[in-house]
Amino acid sequence: MRKSIVIDHLCRVEGHGGITVKIENGKVAEVNMDIFEGPRFFEPLVVGRTYDEVAPILMRICAICSAAHTVASLMAVENAFGIEVTPQTRLLRELLVQGGNIESHALHIFCLAIPDFLGYPSAIALASDHLQEVKMGLELKKLGNTIQETIGGRAIHPVNAVVGGFGKLPSQDELSGLKEQLKRGLEQSLSGFDLVCSLQVPDFCTSPNIYAALSSDGSGYGLFGDKIALSTGGTKDIKTYREICNEGVVAHSHAKQSLFKGKPFAVGALARIALNGEKLSGQAKKAKDKLGMSLLSGNMLYNNAAQAVEMIYSIERSIEIIDELLSVGLNEERPVDIRLRAGTGTGAVEAPRGTLYHSYSFDERGRLTEADVITPTAQNLANIEKDLRVSVENLIAEPKESICSKLEMVVRAYDPCISCAVHLLKVG
Amino acid sequence: MSSKPKIGIYGLTGCAGDQLVILNCEDELLDIVGATDIRSFPMAMSGGDENCPLDIVFIDGTVVQPKDEEMLKRLRERANLLIAVGTCAVWGGVPAMENKFSREEVKKRVYGPTGDLFKTITPQPLSSFVKVDLSISGCPIEKEQLLQAVASLLHGDLPRLPNYAVCTECKMAEYPCLLIEKGHLCLGPITVAGCKARCPSYGRPCIGCRGPVEEANISSEVRLLKEKGFTPSDIQNRLRTFAGAADSLQMESLKEGTNA
Repeated sequence: MRKSIVIDHLCRVEGHGGITVKIENGKVAEVNMDIFEGPRFFEPLVVGRTYDEVAPILMRICAICSAAHTVASLMAVENAFGIEVTPQTRLLRELLVQGGNIESHALHIFCLAIPDFLGYPSAIALASDHLQEVKMGLELKKLGNTIQETIGGRAIHPVNAVVGGFGKLPSQDELSGLKEQLKRGLEQSLSGFDLVCSLQVPDFCTSPNIYAALSSDGSGYGLFGDKIALSTGGTKDIKTYREICNEGVVAHSHAKQSLFKGKPFAVGALARIALNGEKLSGQAKKAKDKLGMSLLSGNMLYNNAAQAVEMIYSIERSIEIIDELLSVGLNEERPVDIRLRAGTGTGAVEAPRGTLYHSYSFDERGRLTEADVITPTAQNLANIEKDLRVSVENLIAEPKESICSKLEMVVRAYDPCISCAVHLLKVG
Repeated sequence: MSSKPKIGIYGLTGCAGDQLVILNCEDELLDIVGATDIRSFPMAMSGGDENCPLDIVFIDGTVVQPKDEEMLKRLRERANLLIAVGTCAVWGGVPAMENKFSREEVKKRVYGPTGDLFKTITPQPLSSFVKVDLSISGCPIEKEQLLQAVASLLHGDLPRLPNYAVCTECKMAEYPCLLIEKGHLCLGPITVAGCKARCPSYGRPCIGCRGPVEEANISSEVRLLKEKGFTPSDIQNRLRTFAGAADSLQMESLKEGTNA
């Protein structure tokens, strides 16, 4: 007997994707995460552009992750020209990325994922019964946007972060104001975490995962690092990211898939906490300890809880960064001068959905000759298919409608960003 | 419910940034939801109505594949007012950027033989395929412009959008001129206003993300930029980053125009 389950268009995810499952004789024959977001061919588009035009174009791969794309892009350009930015620039960039993390996690937890767990079709419907919770989510989301506006000059597609530094520095008053809002946000993020903890997390998609995330020798948890850590053991230099993100073209998807030694792996908040969670401190550490081992159970639905822990972390870390900036006082510095040379550089950032790599080559006039961007969702696609397969096997006796909504829930837990995934790079 | 306008919010191919601007109206979102009847917004809600007639449809993104074109035409049939939101929808945006490779060539380079499995079309704005009732440009759109537009639409009017350049907003704010004084490749004089000269306010030149202003004097801008030492290819690249589909921004046509 043949049966198939087709979800034409996944809702409450960014971009256009679907799921196709083929069942033969009661067994799962095929599971595809279909990606039909149209291709935009970003990487060939930037060939020939000057180094300062690259970030403004490539940040537009994605709106929700535009801060992470911007910073990864700038780091890749600077790495290619062999320039170092100042510690102040590094702190401000980190603050921008933390703002993006807060906004994206708040959007995902409150607007996209929680309605699944409580049985609502949207946050709008959720608001009719849980207005306070939805308002809290929107306020946290706004906090993340306020940070991005203050530091990046715009909530989406930042204009103020440039090669070598920043166009204009925030004022001490703006930073102090942000700190006050962050203190209030911290309380809300703790309530948000309690709410997420109160949700029943089903275990139909549980299966062993390989995790990957950036790591550094620093003592704190972070969204930056010069190495890639893998849960199978060992680390790699970010320059060798291609060894992990071995991308292959699959017929059912406009996005390529990544495999590590032939196996799927996962990136994102859950992967970061699995690999670097022992470095958390403060309230975020308490939250992580409260969740205990469930975060490491191989159940990707816990990614939402991991995001809630990270939201606390990002707020606490943002306060720390502001304290550090204010304690030494902002230095009115201009972007570092660039000396053009031919070269290749790589930049990597933990975007909300996982590790993001940008790698470029430039000629001696500073024009781009080659670009490669590997997004978190592209890395997660093979793992999503693995989890969908496990889920269908566990749910096979259930009615089709119930299977469909649970499969959507699995995909949504990854917080996929399909625009990002269809980033389209050159084959070999 | 029936007196509230039925609204659909959709995205074609793009970064979904303009839909995100709608979701970024954190302080106003619940009021907007209360004043309208949002029938479908796939990015933010499940179970939308994909068949009902709509009073207003907001669409972001660009048409880059036959699937986008079909969806757009279907939405046009359903909607009384069709509103293009964002530079991608209005001008083609970054996907429609000038490029020396043909789409087929690019597809082959990116996907290899698998590329033959799907079709792409040259990226184009919505107006290449359907009648557009209102265009709100910006990459992304400005929140205030969106809210003003929604307020006007709820009163049965179309909003008045600026028909002057970013340069005017910049002068009004008295920012130092980045083009004349600092010699930057600034597109403020030919880009449509509405962002309060956001980039110049950070000391950064306008890169034209909102698309060209009506009756922009492109040839004068190009002459100024050449005087500042920029090469024709630098100027052309910058001009066509966000609105490659706009005829007025093709330097070849400009040359013919000047000679004529």
